[in-house]
Amino acid sequence: MKIFQVSEFIEHINSLVGSEIHIVEGEVSGFSVSQGKWVFFDLKDEKNEAKVGCFMIAFRLKTPLEDGMKVRVIGLPKVHEKSGSFRINIEDVQPIGEGALRRAYELLKKKLADEGLFAPERKRPIPRFPETIGVIASAESAAYGDFIRILKNRWGGVDVQLAHVQVQGEDAIDDITNAFLYFNNAKIQPDVLVLTRGGGSLEDLRAFNSEEVARAVFSSKVPVVVGVGHERDETIADYVADLRASTPSNAAERVVPERGDIGYEIAAMGKIIDSAMERIVEEKRSILKHFGFILRGYVKEKLAQVESLLGVLKSLSPAEVLKRGYAIARSNGVILKSASQVAIGETIDIQLFRGTLKGKVIGKL
Amino acid sequence: MPKESKFNFSQAFSELEKITEWFEKGEVDLEEGLKKFERGLELAQKLKICLKDAENKIIEIKAKFSDESR
Repeated sequence: MKIFQVSEFIEHINSLVGSEIHIVEGEVSGFSVSQGKWVFFDLKDEKNEAKVGCFMIAFRLKTPLEDGMKVRVIGLPKVHEKSGSFRINIEDVQPIGEGALRRAYELLKKKLADEGLFAPERKRPIPRFPETIGVIASAESAAYGDFIRILKNRWGGVDVQLAHVQVQGEDAIDDITNAFLYFNNAKIQPDVLVLTRGGGSLEDLRAFNSEEVARAVFSSKVPVVVGVGHERDETIADYVADLRASTPSNAAERVVPERGDIGYEIAAMGKIIDSAMERIVEEKRSILKHFGFILRGYVKEKLAQVESLLGVLKSLSPAEVLKRGYAIARSNGVILKSASQVAIGETIDIQLFRGTLKGKVIGKL
Repeated sequence: MPKESKFNFSQAFSELEKITEWFEKGEVDLEEGLKKFERGLELAQKLKICLKDAENKIIEIKAKFSDESR
């Protein structure tokens, strides 16, 4: 029989057991993270005392863990080269059972909330009349059928692009995150993305409660509406979404308006414009009328002024003065204003209103 | 609403909203008002036709999402 040195022995054992993936279920105990990089914990049986050490790289840990949580670990058995201690090098770990899933859900929800993924101020508005809607759903699901039916009942003229994905099971997380990548990298991005599926247990909704999908929704450049299951189902994806719909049908209701409502709005706007225009025309007409009235008054007043001026002028003319009995005396055509202008015996002309007299000056007073 | 024609429902709707707002402000510019009035009625007409006629189009994306990033 071969005699090993210790390191050779460990190497030999690792070569025997270390290449086959094992799945082990148990309860987490002594969970710790070292330097933010290495994750250590023991996996133990509930009934007997058996336990095994577990090690994993922190970035591989996609679900929050804590002591007492029931999990399924997937990894390679390994004996540590230096300490000789036996452990499982974990590639993936999943909470199992309603209790563990619920706990993992709560822990992840708190973590993402603290990071600001649910912050109301980052929620983006959904366009009122989307032209292109990217739908991430299972093509065969009732959820998708409901969404399309309600969409059609409410609104038309939309391009729906369906990304058919698994919404539960092994591929669900990858499918969904890849669909988000696809739409975000598309040459012409949709106006809005809708992620939807029917209701289910925490196990069914695992993808919708995963950190990967939460981050895909969060980093989508296109606003996201999430509509999952029944009204009471709440998923992490719901919280991250720009708009949360309570069901797949509700997602259709939130994403497009209703024909009748919009028709009514258009008619109402038409009415406002119509009556406003009528009012403008009426206003202009009354201004014109008023202006005409003012103008007429003004002209009348001016005419009266002119007439009275003419009267004054007329009364000042010499003919009008002579008419009243005055006379003009002239000597050789020069109007006489003083008695000294003529000598006694000179001849003068006296113009009356009608006719002229010739006279001789016989004295001065 | 429909993509096939040049008419853009969203743009037409918001243009109609702006025209309505203008009238609601109570401006009384007759010339401007007449222009906006005609445009407004034209838009309302087109929007109504659109509401009645448009159908949704559904395309399933051919890409397989499971294998893309692996």
